[in-house]
Amino acid sequence: MLDFFLGHYAYWFTIILLAIGLYGMLLKKNLVKKTIGLSIFQAGVILFFVSVAMKDGATVPVKADGLPVSEVANYMNALPHTLMLTAIVVGVATLGVAFALLINIYNRYGTLNEEELLDKIQ
Amino acid sequence: MKYLKLLLIIAFTLVLLFAASDLPYRGNPDNQMNQEVSMTGTEVPGNYYIQEAYNDAHTPNIVTVILGDYRSIDTLGEQIVIFTAGLICFLLLRKRGEGDDE
Repeated sequence: MLDFFLGHYAYWFTIILLAIGLYGMLLKKNLVKKTIGLSIFQAGVILFFVSVAMKDGATVPVKADGLPVSEVANYMNALPHTLMLTAIVVGVATLGVAFALLINIYNRYGTLNEEELLDKIQ
Repeated sequence: MKYLKLLLIIAFTLVLLFAASDLPYRGNPDNQMNQEVSMTGTEVPGNYYIQEAYNDAHTPNIVTVILGDYRSIDTLGEQIVIFTAGLICFLLLRKRGEGDDE
C-alpha cells in the first residue's frame, strides 16, 4: 500500500493540476483567465512526462566524470526531457499568439468577458 | 449548465485517476520505457541515447545531442512553428497605417 502511494503520488498531483486547468477553461468567464487555465493544463502534461522520466538512483542526463555512460542506470531517460523542451517552446509561442488575439479583441470590443462579448458580436 | 461542467471536470478527474492506477511505479528502473526492447519487440531508443550520445556527438549533455543531432529535423520544424507564431504576433499587433481604417 505504501509502495503504491509512493509510486503514484506524482501522477495524482499532475491530475489535480489538469483538473484545475480544465476548471479554468470551462467555468471562468474572463478570456485571460481561460488562457491561464490552458497554460496550467499544459504545465500538468509537461510535468507528467518529466516526472515519468525519473529513475531511482540516477542523475540528470549530462555526462559526468566517474559515472560511465555504458551503465544505463546512472542516467535518467533523456527522451521525455527533450520532447518536453520542444513542447514548452511551442506552448510559449502559441500563448503569445493567444495574448495578441486577446489584445486585438479588447481593442475592438472593450471587454474580455465571454458573455458580454457574445452579446456585442451579435 | 454550470453543474454539467463541474460534473464533466469530476468525471475527467475520476477517469484519469482510474487510468493512473495502472501506470508503473515512478522511478522504477525496470519500467518499460527503460528497457532495451519494447513489449512488441521493437527497439526502445532511451538506452541507446544514454549509451551512444557522447560517442556520436562528443557533447556531454544528452538532451542537447538528442535535440540538435538525432532530432534536428524535428527542431527545425519546431522553429518554423515559432517563426510562424512570431509572424502572427507581428501582423496582429502592428500599428495600422493611415490609409486603412480598421
